[in-house]
Amino acid sequence: MLTLDLLINGLVIGVFYALMAIGLSLIFGILKVVNFAHGEFYMVGAYAYTLSALSLGISPWLSLPFALLVGLLLGLVVERLLMRPLYSGYTSWGVMRDEYAVIVTFALSIFLINIVDKVVGPYAYKGPALINISRITIGPVAISGHRLVAALLAVAIIVVVALIIRYTFWGRQIQAVSQNRLGASLAGIDTAKASAIVFSLAGGLAAVSGALLANIFNPTPDVGVFPAIKSYVIVVLGGMGSVPGSIIASIILGVLESFGGVYISYQYRDTFGLFILVLFLLFRPQGLFGEKAREV
Amino acid sequence: MASAHPINRKLQTEFAASLVLLAFVGVLPAFVTNAYWQGVVVVSMYFAMLAVAWNILAGYTGQFSLAPAAFGMIGAYTTGLLSYYYGLTAIVGVPAAIVVAGVIGLVLGRIVLRLRGPYLALTTLSFAEIMRLVISNSIDFTRGDLGLNVPGIFDSRLAYYYMMLAVLLAIQVGLFYLLRSRAGLYLRAIRDDEIAAASRGVLIVYWKTFAFTLSAAICGLAGALYGHFAQFVSPELGLLSQTGVVISMVVIGGLGTMVGPIGGALLVYVLSEFLRDFGNYQLVVFAFLVIIFARFFREGLWGLLLAAFGRPGRPAAAATAAE
Repeated sequence: MLTLDLLINGLVIGVFYALMAIGLSLIFGILKVVNFAHGEFYMVGAYAYTLSALSLGISPWLSLPFALLVGLLLGLVVERLLMRPLYSGYTSWGVMRDEYAVIVTFALSIFLINIVDKVVGPYAYKGPALINISRITIGPVAISGHRLVAALLAVAIIVVVALIIRYTFWGRQIQAVSQNRLGASLAGIDTAKASAIVFSLAGGLAAVSGALLANIFNPTPDVGVFPAIKSYVIVVLGGMGSVPGSIIASIILGVLESFGGVYISYQYRDTFGLFILVLFLLFRPQGLFGEKAREV
Repeated sequence: MASAHPINRKLQTEFAASLVLLAFVGVLPAFVTNAYWQGVVVVSMYFAMLAVAWNILAGYTGQFSLAPAAFGMIGAYTTGLLSYYYGLTAIVGVPAAIVVAGVIGLVLGRIVLRLRGPYLALTTLSFAEIMRLVISNSIDFTRGDLGLNVPGIFDSRLAYYYMMLAVLLAIQVGLFYLLRSRAGLYLRAIRDDEIAAASRGVLIVYWKTFAFTLSAAICGLAGALYGHFAQFVSPELGLLSQTGVVISMVVIGGLGTMVGPIGGALLVYVLSEFLRDFGNYQLVVFAFLVIIFARFFREGLWGLLLAAFGRPGRPAAAATAAE
């Protein structure tokens, strides 16, 4: 039954990876940059959830939307203050706009990690569980209540987001801008607004991901570093900018790590994904599903 | 011959400014006799070497690598392992570190040739993390996070001080002549427009790989010297936050200038030691400064200085950004 356990475990982890990677993928789609502060959106969400529940004594079910709100706001502020020059022409970086984005988001990541370290402290807090059942047995598989509820919530959020992007007016604007920014703006789409929505949404999703996992990976200032690296692997694997691609890639990575950690090497578990990332960037930069990079 | 060309004049000014800065560092021990603060300057010179090396790639060739600290770690471990297993001294260890880091840099540079912007950043970031995780998990070979004790070279701190200064000066002089030569023009041409450069006959593959190898070799040298100074190496040398420190030094000092990395490294590291007494806020402050500089003053402190005191109407920022 080890195999089934590993499979379920991998699927659950994969769902959380997806929650985070979707935002990163959307950002890449719309701005063609990688947000190196993505893990810190996750970290801020984990803290917002944990600290609001612990210090205000409110129910975790209220802390969860609070974390979402904090993430949405943080994403919005970062987009307005730092990402705008990427498309409004204020930056003096000329042809080096990608490099501007790398530096600014990388510095933002270090800034957020260290300011949280100073303000909240370096110690781990235990995130409260959404449901206090330590063990739920379904057929041959046992899983903790919190993990099950959190995974189901994550699936629900992913479905909602995917539907929003596919069918709503805003979602279609986002799709249009990521296919062709100039074309979209010629068709009357407010590309600045679309970018703001995407960044905000990405911040919210990463924050919720951090909140849902706060019970399993207790928040510390650098808790977001590893999830962020996983989501880089995922967006490359799934094809930069493709939402369905990143969902599938998340599941694949979750399951691969779950099995690889047992059957190949636990010590080097965290390097598998990085190797996959390098190999893909070198030999198949369009990702698993062959979505060709679109010219802008 | 072409010394009157504005590009060379810009280089000469920056080079002269960096020599003034290094001369200042040279006479500093006459006033700063405290061994602790001399050590602080030694470490800041280690960072200055990494910053200069990163600037060759990012500032002059347009390749944004996130691996300078990883190459420093590779250099430090090369000499560390050689002395741990074979009892070899720095005379063998330091050249070996340059070669090992250079060869790994050559291979990585050759591999990432086609990648730009976010793709290059992601690949070098993964490389850096893989290297660090491998070193910290190969406990049988490297003692993992416990680190390795490395023998020192000198007994006196001042000897380390002037050794680091001499090496930094040598790197800086070599870089000046490199950038003044045709090779320097090729590198900057690649940074500004790779396709245009190729169409004028610049060997893109050769020069990009060259820049990557050179940068990695300098990082390896810096790491090895640091290892012998600290008499200890650990995987923490390769942390991404260390790369963040290097980048912040270059961006605050002035990206793509000869004096920026050195000025930035000295300023940032020495200031951060001061800030340590006020509750360890240094990384918060510097990350914030990097964001502000990158957002508003791309040319860093050097650009601000030029704008304040330099020729009016031709600020450095406009010269580079105007393409």
